[in-house]
Amino acid sequence: MAGIASVLRALGRAVWRDLRTLQSIMGNNFFLFVLLLLQQMESALFFLLILGLLVLFPLSADPLRKIPADRLMLWPLSPRQRVALRFASVALSPVAWITVGLLLKTQKLAVAGQFLIAAAIVQALVAFSTQVARRAPAFDILRRIPALPGVLGGLVRKDLRQMLTTLDPYVALVLSLSAVGYRLFSKAPDASALSVLTVVVVLAMSTYSQCFFGLDGAAGMARYRLLPLAGWQILLAKDLAFLLIAVPLLLPLRPLAGLGAVLVALAIGHHTSVFQPIPQHRWRFTSGVVVPNGLIQSFFLVSAGVAVDRQGPLFLILCAAAYLGSLWYYGRTWAALLH
Amino acid sequence: MLWCRHLSKRFGEFTAVDNVTFEIPAGTICALLGPNGAGKSTLLKMLTGLLEPTSGEASVLDKREIGVLPENLGLFDDLTIEEHLELTGPIYGLSSFETRSRTEQLLSALGVQEGRRTFLSQCSHGMRKKTSLAMALLPNPRVLFLDEPFEGIDPVTAETIRLLLISIARRGVTVLLSSHILSLVDRLAEQIMMIRKGQLVWNSAISELPRGLEEHYFELVEAPLEQDLPWLGSQAS
Repeated sequence: MAGIASVLRALGRAVWRDLRTLQSIMGNNFFLFVLLLLQQMESALFFLLILGLLVLFPLSADPLRKIPADRLMLWPLSPRQRVALRFASVALSPVAWITVGLLLKTQKLAVAGQFLIAAAIVQALVAFSTQVARRAPAFDILRRIPALPGVLGGLVRKDLRQMLTTLDPYVALVLSLSAVGYRLFSKAPDASALSVLTVVVVLAMSTYSQCFFGLDGAAGMARYRLLPLAGWQILLAKDLAFLLIAVPLLLPLRPLAGLGAVLVALAIGHHTSVFQPIPQHRWRFTSGVVVPNGLIQSFFLVSAGVAVDRQGPLFLILCAAAYLGSLWYYGRTWAALLH
Repeated sequence: MLWCRHLSKRFGEFTAVDNVTFEIPAGTICALLGPNGAGKSTLLKMLTGLLEPTSGEASVLDKREIGVLPENLGLFDDLTIEEHLELTGPIYGLSSFETRSRTEQLLSALGVQEGRRTFLSQCSHGMRKKTSLAMALLPNPRVLFLDEPFEGIDPVTAETIRLLLISIARRGVTVLLSSHILSLVDRLAEQIMMIRKGQLVWNSAISELPRGLEEHYFELVEAPLEQDLPWLGSQAS
């Protein structure tokens, strides 16, 4: 039993560390927005549901998977011990705790059961997509991102893939699809509602621009130092990847207003990316500096989106000028800091 | 020519590289030897611009002229082996035809053609190292800095790399490499530098070594310890 206890202790530590990575949501602009909306629970419910659904993906992961399969096989455990470990590891799953919590709170088996089924479906989806990606790489969506032309094409492809391994673009995708649904199926879609949804889509992605180098790691930073590229070119590759994800999501909404908001989000996000680089975790919400950077970024991107929407494309030119100035300044600063 | 004068690097109280001076003529293969933590990687990082020296000076090379295999390999988990090379070519001004052609030749020479579409996050250490080495060679550099190029590489590829380095050095490429595999270094390097606790303790042509490379290394840098751990093997007897 001492062997199993030792494995479970290590597993418990790994689960705890993993749970702590979910705290990244606290540094996310979209989470901040949802917190503000909580004053009106009815308005916040939809956004809370989106957040909850996406957080369920990392939460529902099998704790035993934290031990490398080869290592688990090599340990001298008897079949009975392995079965015991399998059952004991279930108790370490956050989904199990939440199910029990729901049961105690609501006293309704159906509610806890529905949550458990939702988590099981999410986990099955993850397992299925992982298997598909492993056995038939052609179906791996990230792999299908093509090589883009130009000097920065390879970097943009890499940055696109990096961005798509965080949860932020998926929140934006759900919001954009919801807005499209609203536009298609509402008898009299309110134009101002579309404007609001446009800036909310940008807000959902904006924190990523505060942590552009968070997934590159030490090896990536070493490569940037070695490449014969200027700082602004490396930043531009990241911005292009951001735009390539943001623009299709904004096209069915208010594209010009969205573009204005994106340019301002990037212009301000560069500051935190360059001066306060924060390491990020894959398949989590990105985490930036909420106060004051996130607040400033949120305020100005919303203002830019509204201004372009109401006052016309002239404000878009101002947004573009602000973006270019930021790219030039922070590109130079980043290169200087890097060396 | 590659050179440095009185080059030092200090991290707080710790001196990683201490007043190192040397010259390496063009077209020479020079091996930098020393135990783990002696300062080899720090010295290479300063020469390649990855790290600012605390004091001293070194030859300044254009980034387009050098090929580097860094200590941490400098790779991206989100790209496959071949995509790393596709990324490198255009940045160094190669046309897409040149990039493709050189990529094919390098992947074949380094024995990674089969795994070329594998994401780096799923590659073995050897494959990762070969990818980084291929990235260093792709732009056809004038100077190569290789941090432990043979460690973790299968013997056939290691021999291929050795022959490749000899042939490019004959065409004038200068190679500075660090390694722990003395038998390979013995058959490759023309100049030997030994470093211990940040200080350069030997620098000569390999032909000027007073005795065999391994013997000289053990005597000058550090001798192996004869240690016995009695509990190891006690189950077998």
